[in-house]
Amino acid sequence: MAVQIEFVSSKTLRRMTTKQRLDLVLQSVKKNTILVLEEPLTMDEERQLIRETMKIITKSFPGIEISSLSSEEQDLRSSVIRLLGGKTSGLTVVGPANLVKEMKKDPNKLRVLTK
Amino acid sequence: MHWIAGVFGRRKEFSLGLYGPPNSGKTTLANRISVDWTGEPVGIVSEIPHETRQVQKKEKIQLSVNGKKLVMNLLDMPGIATKVDYREFLPFGIEVKQAQQRAKEATKGIIEAIKWLENVNVALVVLDSTEDPYTQVNLTIIGNLEARKIPILIVANKVDSKKAKPDRVKSAFSQYQVIEVSALKGDNIHKLYKAIGDVV
Repeated sequence: MAVQIEFVSSKTLRRMTTKQRLDLVLQSVKKNTILVLEEPLTMDEERQLIRETMKIITKSFPGIEISSLSSEEQDLRSSVIRLLGGKTSGLTVVGPANLVKEMKKDPNKLRVLTK
Repeated sequence: MHWIAGVFGRRKEFSLGLYGPPNSGKTTLANRISVDWTGEPVGIVSEIPHETRQVQKKEKIQLSVNGKKLVMNLLDMPGIATKVDYREFLPFGIEVKQAQQRAKEATKGIIEAIKWLENVNVALVVLDSTEDPYTQVNLTIIGNLEARKIPILIVANKVDSKKAKPDRVKSAFSQYQVIEVSALKGDNIHKLYKAIGDVV
């Protein structure tokens, strides 16, 4: 199976509401696309994504694999950068579970294994 | 204020939620806690993932820890996962139709467990210490509990296994109190009760 990977820019994601972000993720993974989001999903968005994913699981769509690398920086500099609309670091990778075998992560590195 | 509650015999009531990925030993731990304090188990344990597909409750458990008299509502949650594939159940000898039904129930169970995130007072995040603790599901569960300011105790379960690496759990979640237990054998269970008593 050919693997299609889509990258979504931070700029695009910041214009979206949580619902729009989740819709984008779910529509893409259902089309067998692996998404790389330049702006990581929040913990709350991940929770909502898991919940919404569970509602659409079928025999042919078993769910998602997701992993995020996010900045742990909570210092004043990072807060100011974020406040001004800038980006410090982080990303989320999400793909369909029938295509992505595993996502391995250590704090600084993310590895995606496809089937 | 605890001494006032003690004098008048009023017990502080709280809900303890057991969260974690499937097959980390939540129901084994819930049964251990429940049997220790009530003599009765909470639910059925099996090696098949998603055995617990509904929130299982044991309410009004009376316990005394650290000199405190407490009333605990024990909530054994379905395991949270990002995928539920009915084919995973087939190697356990489950028929295709039953496996598909089980998958359907498991997805509902996960939704239910996520809904309950807001309604627990103390959370035990039960992790299998023979597995990699650094998964997104674990981080998501802990992140959401933290955002709701719910006290979290991490349980590094299955320490009786030769493959257990509880230090890996401790290093992944170094900012939390990690209690190494074997829910199956009861090892360190009193340390867990003490820790619960400390955070309530």
